[in-house]
Amino acid sequence: MGYVKGLKCRECGRIYPVAPVYVCEFCFGSLDVIYDYKSIKRVLTKKEIEKREKNLWRYRELLPIDGDPQAGLNSGFTPLTKVDKLAKELGVKALYIKDDSTIHPSLSFKDRVVAVALTKAREFGFDTAACASTGNLAHSVSAQGARAGFKRFIFIPASLEPTKIVASLVYEPNLIAVDGNYDDVNRLCSEIGSKYKWAFVNINIRPFYSEGSKTHGFEIVEQLDWKTPDNIVVPCASGSLLAKIWKGLNEFVEIGFIKELKTKVFAAQATACPPISTAIKQGVDIIKPVKPDPNTISKSLAIGNPAEGYDALKAVKESGGYGEDVSDEEIIYAIKLLARTEGIFTETAGGVTLAVTKKLIENGKIGRDEVTVVCITGNGLKTQEALYNKTVSPHYIKPNLSSFEEAIKKIST
Amino acid sequence: MTKRVKLTFPQHLIKEPVIFKMAKKYDIMPNIRRAKVTETVGEMVLELEGADENLEKGIQSLRDKGIDVELIEGDIVE
Repeated sequence: MGYVKGLKCRECGRIYPVAPVYVCEFCFGSLDVIYDYKSIKRVLTKKEIEKREKNLWRYRELLPIDGDPQAGLNSGFTPLTKVDKLAKELGVKALYIKDDSTIHPSLSFKDRVVAVALTKAREFGFDTAACASTGNLAHSVSAQGARAGFKRFIFIPASLEPTKIVASLVYEPNLIAVDGNYDDVNRLCSEIGSKYKWAFVNINIRPFYSEGSKTHGFEIVEQLDWKTPDNIVVPCASGSLLAKIWKGLNEFVEIGFIKELKTKVFAAQATACPPISTAIKQGVDIIKPVKPDPNTISKSLAIGNPAEGYDALKAVKESGGYGEDVSDEEIIYAIKLLARTEGIFTETAGGVTLAVTKKLIENGKIGRDEVTVVCITGNGLKTQEALYNKTVSPHYIKPNLSSFEEAIKKIST
Repeated sequence: MTKRVKLTFPQHLIKEPVIFKMAKKYDIMPNIRRAKVTETVGEMVLELEGADENLEKGIQSLRDKGIDVELIEGDIVE
């Protein structure tokens, strides 16, 4: 049995019954899942959660499903690692990495949202799952949809590099390469989403899909022994992850798991596409869409018209956090810094988050004696091309001992 | 046909009746659902109804003036 009361328009507050809908018919505001927290508070305890399987469904009462999970049974409960060497480099006392670079099955936090989306799609009776994506979302829908037995349609811009799509194609979805730019693909998928009776995970299933992001935040609190950190730095593309982490923390207050919420949430974006951090810096509450720089290495965050940008902005404001953006050079430096200090290889979005954290520490927005969690949302193996010719070089030798000894003289050990 | 769009106005266009002018010129019926204006930027969410060709032209005319015209559901390619 689930605990969902319905869907609520974030703009006008109108309530809708649970259905595969995503905008308010009156004001076109986006819809958010609301729960019966009183009942959840009665049945859910920290002890009960601790007894459960280490996957994202351990918080199932706070997720929008009625029956049993249909996907993601091995997804979630990723490591929260205390990173002392990195903390020392950045000059802070306590730093943690919430590491979704390890998440099953497709190595990005999208496995959380897709697990919830597919479970809900099955409950709604859909047999086809669809998405439009340039990477992580496509990989996750392709992989999890295969295991859960969905027909799958993945839409991509035809110009996308072949290396980006192999990790989807291997699961044999129907991959539709659209001859057009990103705007064309956005427009086409919006039309397809309203015409075909498919579970388009980030269109008609979006209110349920995005709830999966809360588990990233739930885990941070549980892994800190049910304490909240002072700061959480979150990468922003659609803004959904940040908004939902904040929603999840507030839900923990609502059901009595946290007494007082003092955590600040910070939005991390790339300078190549910073609609959310710009609005935060300017102190306005309208997200002005931007055209992303197509050459940025941070492609997974290059969303110019973020669906949940306003919610992310509101969460940052409510929490007393801030937003920053960083250049490609800063992103690359941060990816390498995390790898050489802590042995974690993150994709470019993780580089954005760490580089922004560094900036926020340097400009005093994050205190040096505070506890900070950096959200790493995907694995570096997915965006290796960003580092070509940017890493240290190999030492080339002949296959004999003297050549090796010649080389080792030049290596400081 | 109808289209649901989100418009973002730069500061210098906030005071201009751009929607009225576009609606009149291209025979489009606008149905405003939500709007918000700050000192520097304006946002309007609305439904536009008209002939396909007119809608295309009307939306293009808004873009030509410097207004962002986007999908209400946000970017779908994630």
